[in-house]
Amino acid sequence: MKPVIVVHGGAWAIPDTLAEASVAGVKAAALAGSEVLKRGGRALDAVEAAVRMMEDDLVFDAGHGAVLNTDGEVELDAIIMEGETLAAGAVSSVRNIGNPVSLARAVMEKTDHVMLTGRGANLFAESIGVPTLPTDALVTEEERKEWEHRYKRYTVGVKELFNSQWGHDTVGAVALDSFGNVACATSTGGIRNKMVGRVGDSPVIGSGGYADNKTGAVSCTGHGESILKVTLARLILFHMDQGRTASEAAKSSLQFMRKRVQGCGGAIVVSPKGDWSATFTTERMAWAAVDENVLCYGLNPKEELKESLK
Amino acid sequence: MLPVVVVHGGAGQIPKENTEVCCAGVREAARSGYSVLTSGGSAMDAVVEAVTMLENNPVYNAGKGSVLNVKGEVEMDALVMDGRTLDSGAVSAVRGVANPTQLARMVMEKTSHLCLTAEGASKFARAMGVPEVPEESLITDYARMRWKKLEPGSNPVECQIGKIGTVGAVAVDVEGNLACATSTGGILNQMEGRVGDTPCIGCGGYADNQIGAVSPTGHGEAIMKVTLSRLILFHMEQGKSPEEASDLALDYMKERVKGLGGVVVVDPKGTWTARFNSLQMTWAAAQQEQLHYGLYHGEDFTEPI
Repeated sequence: MKPVIVVHGGAWAIPDTLAEASVAGVKAAALAGSEVLKRGGRALDAVEAAVRMMEDDLVFDAGHGAVLNTDGEVELDAIIMEGETLAAGAVSSVRNIGNPVSLARAVMEKTDHVMLTGRGANLFAESIGVPTLPTDALVTEEERKEWEHRYKRYTVGVKELFNSQWGHDTVGAVALDSFGNVACATSTGGIRNKMVGRVGDSPVIGSGGYADNKTGAVSCTGHGESILKVTLARLILFHMDQGRTASEAAKSSLQFMRKRVQGCGGAIVVSPKGDWSATFTTERMAWAAVDENVLCYGLNPKEELKESLK
Repeated sequence: MLPVVVVHGGAGQIPKENTEVCCAGVREAARSGYSVLTSGGSAMDAVVEAVTMLENNPVYNAGKGSVLNVKGEVEMDALVMDGRTLDSGAVSAVRGVANPTQLARMVMEKTSHLCLTAEGASKFARAMGVPEVPEESLITDYARMRWKKLEPGSNPVECQIGKIGTVGAVAVDVEGNLACATSTGGILNQMEGRVGDTPCIGCGGYADNQIGAVSPTGHGEAIMKVTLSRLILFHMEQGKSPEEASDLALDYMKERVKGLGGVVVVDPKGTWTARFNSLQMTWAAAQQEQLHYGLYHGEDFTEPI
């Protein structure tokens, strides 16, 4: 089986000022994941490595570089899932953890549960020796300024047009290893000025991600509440169950999401045969993939650039 | 065939001394939900009414009567979903509220979000003027007794014998709108902050006017791994009946991730089912002035409403 990895750095209206760094970030993450696969590593290790790299990259809204909630704090969501046994781990609304994806993996491997939230997730992190970082360690100066400037005033109970206004987004990865296993991982700081305790799609199994060796692996990004309403990851795989290709399944599911709940987003997909796609209905999505010895990447619709890794 | 409401009081193995009250509680909840529907209420009103009654009834593991986590505390999860718009609201690991399902509905109706968790959910409840109730008022002697009986370090999955599951309801109103609601105290001795299937859309419930509505109960982690509610609806989209779809999905869950559970399901025409592969599930359904109910496999008792 030829290994494949696909990563995304979020689907949204990425401004030109962040375009170059976003593309560089997803390329580096795809290469990091690909290295793991080339050494004979498992898909699960590859998606964790790729997502960790993007969590550490300030340009992405996950781990370091996360956005602030209404109280000016960082709350992070992440999921990881492996397709052989359907084992999954997730954390929601965890505070000030540098690499939530690795904490999600610890939930999967060290507990009987699939998801831990809030203070419980932080207590678990402490109990296994994962350090809690000060907020300032995770938040960029630009994010703090943006938040102070535009978002400080907020009233609970008022619906806001997050769907068209949210900035930054989720990162994620899907991989197929040489043993035929697929895995997915997704990590996010959520949307700027979200209510305290808001959980988006990322940590919710079947919405922010899903992996099944029989059908494939998906990681989603975009307007979280819309993704949840259509359980986007599971919907894409359901279409693949019906014989669609990765690209057709992602396209029709994203179109359904736009039509039914007026939400935009993106998804990366890999099938157990190595068929993969990176699809989005937002203005842009930074994505990269390593398939055989070619690094593919893009940012704008219908853009697919290639670099040989030989 | 419309309106219809189907409720469950949890799959698992109900302790003998509670069997009667558990069966009575779901019948009463189904009657109340049905009376909301026949007086012109929406499916959403009906499922929230039915689940609220089960939350207030101390024999079920939801609201008052919730199981205790590893620290002896109550943390609750709930979800509601409206099949017309796919709007949904959820709370996870929330403390100190009597009716998490009503709070989940407020998340749906009063915020731009879908799910609020832990202290954030409590903070929202306070902002909405939802009364904060002392934890003691949610804890029954039975729940405390079961928690105290645990050996130190008991495995949360293995100590579910005698468990009473999650509660939930699905309904179709006279206008053909569908809704679901699910509420739970989780599993006995769960880690602090553990979130099960209940507040996860597609796992602990799903409602879509075009396909059907589902509320499940059972081993939460297994339900999550197969996104049970959405899976059943996928089968129904392929032309399976609610009963066939439920059996297919429950068999798959048992085979693939070794999990047991049960579901209540309706389709837009009002065809309903209550299926489970656990030993028991208390359920009741109200349709065409008839009340149906059961506890063991193959049971379907009826009485006029």
